[in-house]
Amino acid sequence: MIRIRAVLFALAALLLAAGCRVNRPPNDHAATQTLYDSMSSDPGTFNPLLVTDSASNAAIGDLFESLVRINPQTLLPEPGLAASWALGDGGKTITFHLRHGVVWSDGVPFTSRDVIFTMRTIYDPKVPNSTVSSMLIDGQPIAFAAPDDYTVVMRLPRPFAPLFYSVGFPIIPAHILEPDVASGAFIHTWGIDTPPGKLIADGAYLMTRYVPAQQLAYRRNPAYWMRDGSGGELPRLRGQVRLIVPDQNAQYLRFMVGITDVYSPRPEEVNGLRENAARLHITVKDVGIDTGSLFFVFNRNPRHYVAGTVTNPKYKWFTDPNFMRALAHSIDKQGIINLCFRGLAVPAISDTSPENKIFYNPNLTPYDYDLNRAARILDEAGYRMLRPGVRGDPDGHPLIFSLTTNTGVPVRDQMCAIFKQDLATLGIQVNYRPLEFISLVKALESSFDWDCVLIGFGGTIEPNDASNFLRSSGNLHVWNPSQSKPATPWEAEIDSLMDQGTTVMDERQRAPFYWRIQQILHDELPIIETVRQAEYIAYRNTIVGYNPTVWGLYKPEWMEFRAQ
Amino acid sequence: MGRFLLKRLLLMIPLIIGITFISFAAMSLVPGNFVSSLALDPKISPQVLKQMEAEFGLDQPLMIRYLRWLWQVVHMNFGVSLAYRVNVTNLIASRAANTVLLALASMILSWAIAIPVGIIVAVRQNSILDRTLSFISFLGMSVPGFFLAFLAMDFALWSGWFPVGGSFSPDYATLDTWSQVADRFNHLILPALVLGLAGVASLMRLMRSQILEIKHAEFVRTARAKGLSESRVMYKHVLRNALNPFVTMAGYGLADLLGGAALVETVMNLQGLGLLLLTAVRSLDVPLVMGSVLMGTILLLVGNLLADIALVAVDPRVDFSTLASQ
Repeated sequence: MIRIRAVLFALAALLLAAGCRVNRPPNDHAATQTLYDSMSSDPGTFNPLLVTDSASNAAIGDLFESLVRINPQTLLPEPGLAASWALGDGGKTITFHLRHGVVWSDGVPFTSRDVIFTMRTIYDPKVPNSTVSSMLIDGQPIAFAAPDDYTVVMRLPRPFAPLFYSVGFPIIPAHILEPDVASGAFIHTWGIDTPPGKLIADGAYLMTRYVPAQQLAYRRNPAYWMRDGSGGELPRLRGQVRLIVPDQNAQYLRFMVGITDVYSPRPEEVNGLRENAARLHITVKDVGIDTGSLFFVFNRNPRHYVAGTVTNPKYKWFTDPNFMRALAHSIDKQGIINLCFRGLAVPAISDTSPENKIFYNPNLTPYDYDLNRAARILDEAGYRMLRPGVRGDPDGHPLIFSLTTNTGVPVRDQMCAIFKQDLATLGIQVNYRPLEFISLVKALESSFDWDCVLIGFGGTIEPNDASNFLRSSGNLHVWNPSQSKPATPWEAEIDSLMDQGTTVMDERQRAPFYWRIQQILHDELPIIETVRQAEYIAYRNTIVGYNPTVWGLYKPEWMEFRAQ
Repeated sequence: MGRFLLKRLLLMIPLIIGITFISFAAMSLVPGNFVSSLALDPKISPQVLKQMEAEFGLDQPLMIRYLRWLWQVVHMNFGVSLAYRVNVTNLIASRAANTVLLALASMILSWAIAIPVGIIVAVRQNSILDRTLSFISFLGMSVPGFFLAFLAMDFALWSGWFPVGGSFSPDYATLDTWSQVADRFNHLILPALVLGLAGVASLMRLMRSQILEIKHAEFVRTARAKGLSESRVMYKHVLRNALNPFVTMAGYGLADLLGGAALVETVMNLQGLGLLLLTAVRSLDVPLVMGSVLMGTILLLVGNLLADIALVAVDPRVDFSTLASQ
C-alpha cells in the first residue's frame, strides 16, 4: 500500500517535472544581435580606478574609454578619447587634443575637466589604486593642465617613452564623482551594489543588469563616438550578456548546448571541438601563445641563506652559473608540452613572449633538454656523486632542496613532478610541497623561506610595466626582492638598461635595450623558463568580424552576427 | 517553558563568542592576509598594498580586529566584504535564496523517499527487497555528491531534457511570472536529486534501524496484546516513536540550509553560498567568512532549540524539566 503510494508520488513528481515547459520567445542571439559569453567570477567593483581583479576588468572594460588605446595587432598606441597628440620640448611635453562630441550616458559632454579630475584622483593619496605606479616617473608625478575644454597638456620630468602605455587608464566622469572624491567616500563609490543605471559611462556598451553570481547584461551605447567607414553606428552588436560560471566544465557545457557563443577551450578540449566543428557550426581559432611567463625561480636571497658567518650551501648552488645551467638543461619542455598541454604549447626561451612583437628577442639559444650534458656540467663543476643516486656539492653536502607552487593548478603539479623526476636521475633530491596561493606569496615577498618555486607572471606589452620584476629594487624581483643596491653586476646592468630604455621615444630604438635584458636573464638564469600554452577560442560560425588576439579583441566594435 | 527558553538563549551568547573567536583566530594563523593575494600583481606597488591593509584594518593585532568585529556585530553591522566592498549581509542574502531553495527541495526529496522506503524494508526485514534496497543505499552513501553531479550534467547534455546546470536561464528576466517559476523548477530538479539522493541512504538506514528497535519494545508488545490491529500498532505506536531522532535531525537541518555544498554547486554551476564561502576562506576575506560562521552558528543553535521544543511536543516521555536538567 505504502509502496504503491510512494511509487505513484515519484511518478507524479517526474511527470510534473517533464511537463514543466517554460513558455518563452525563441532566444535567438543572432536576431537580437546579442553576444553571450561566460566569465568565471563575480566582479569586485564597478569603479574603474579601484579595479584589482580580472573579473571587474571584464565587467566594466567596455564601459569606459581612455585617452589612448593600444592596437592589439600592431601593439602601438591609437587615438581614443584623445583624437591626436603632439610631443614638444624634446619629449617632455605632450599635448593631447580631445575628441569633440563625446557625451557621457547622462548627456553631459566629455571635456578636459574629466581628464584632469581622473588624474587628480589617481594621484590622490587617499585613493589606493593600481594605476598610480605606472604614472610615476623616477618617483615623480606628471604635471598636467587643461588650457581649454578640449586640450590636456602633460609635463614630464624627463622624456618617458612608456607614457603612451600608461595613459590607457579609464577616464571617469567628473560631474558625477567629484563630490565622492572630495568627501573621501570614493573607495566605496560604484561598488557592485550600485544600480547599473547609475554607472555614467562613455564606452561602447552600457550596463543594464547585474544579477550577482548570475549574469551581467549590456546594451549598445547609442551615443558612442565611434563610427564605421560609411558613417554607420558602432558597435554593431546591440547587446552583450556575460554569464558568471565559476567552473570551466560548466562553461564548456554552456557553449556546447548553445547558451554561450564564444568559449576559450583548455588544451584537452581543443581537439574534440575541432573534430566536431562542422557538426556544432563553430570555428576553433588559433589565437596565439600565452603572453605571460611560467618559470622556475631559485632563491638567491642572502637575507634567507646567510646568517652571520654561516652560509647555507643552497645559496652557493643557486648563485653558481654552472649549477643553474645544468638545471636549465634538465627541464623536459617537450615532455611537459606533450603531457600537460596535449601538445598545444611551445617551449619558452625568453621571459618575454614572442607575441610581444616589438620587444621580444628572437636570438636567444635555447637550453636543450639533455640530462647527460647536465650531468657532465655538474661533474666538471665539482658536483660529484657521493653514492649511487645522491649527488653532492664540492663541499660534500648532498643536493637537496624544496620545490613549491600554488595548489589547485593541475598543470603546475604535473610540471613539478616531471622536473623532480629528471633531477632525481641526476642525483638531486627535490622535496615537492605545494602551498595555498596566499601562503606562497607570503613566502616569496616577506618570509623568503623557499628554495625553488614554479610560478607564472602575466605579460605586458610595455616592458617598463614589469620593472617591479626586472629592477633589483622591485618587490617582485622574486629571486632577491627589494635590494637597496644591486647585488650583482648583471643586476646593476639591468637596472641601467631599464633607465635607458625609457628615455628613447622610438620603439625600434628602444627594443635593443630590452633584448639585452632578456639575454642577461637567459645567461644568468635567476629564472628558468618552461613553456607557453597555445591559446584557442571557439565561436559560432554566425559571428563575423570577430578578431581575437592574445592581447584582446581587435576592432571589437565591428563584431556582429551575420545577417540572415 | 519560559525559564527553559531564557536559560538556553543566554547560554548561546558565550557559545557564539567562543565559536566566532576560534574561527577568527584560525583565519589569522594562516600566513598573509587578503591583500597578500594582490602582491604578485606588478601594477600594484607595495605602498598601495600598505594603504589597503590600513584601510581594511588588517595591520592591527588579532584581539583588536576581533573586538572591532564583535563591536560591529553587536550593532547589527556584519561588516564589509574585502573582495566585493559591499555589506556582508547583502552579499549573503543575494546567494541565500538559491541555497535555501535547493536545500529545502533536496531535504523534502530525500525525506519523502527515505522514510517510506525505510519503513518498507524494516517491515520486510531480511527479504530480497530489503537486501536490494540496502545494497543500493550503501552504494548511494559511498558515491560522492560531486561525482553524481557530473553524471547528472552528462545526462542533461545527452538527453536534452534538463538544463545543464545553473539556477536560471539566461533570459530569465524577460519571462512571464509563471514561466519564471517553471524555469526555476526545471533548473532545480537535477541538483535536488543529486543532493537529495546522498541523504536518502543514511536516512533510510536510520529509519530502518529505528523501527526494528522499537518493533520489539515492550509497549509494542502491550499494544499487540491489547488486540490492536497490526497496521494500528505500526502507525500509531511504532512509527510515532521511530520518528523522534528525525525531529532532532530536522533541527540540525536548519543550519544545513545555509551551509551550501561547494563541490556540487561548482559542478552544476549553482550560484549558492557554498562557493562564495569557499572562495572567501581561500582568499582570507575575513568579514565574509565571519558573517557566514555567525549565521551558521545561530541557525545551528536555534535549530537545536526548536528541535528540543518539537521533541517535547511529539514525545510524551520528554518535558522541559528533563531538557533543562541535561
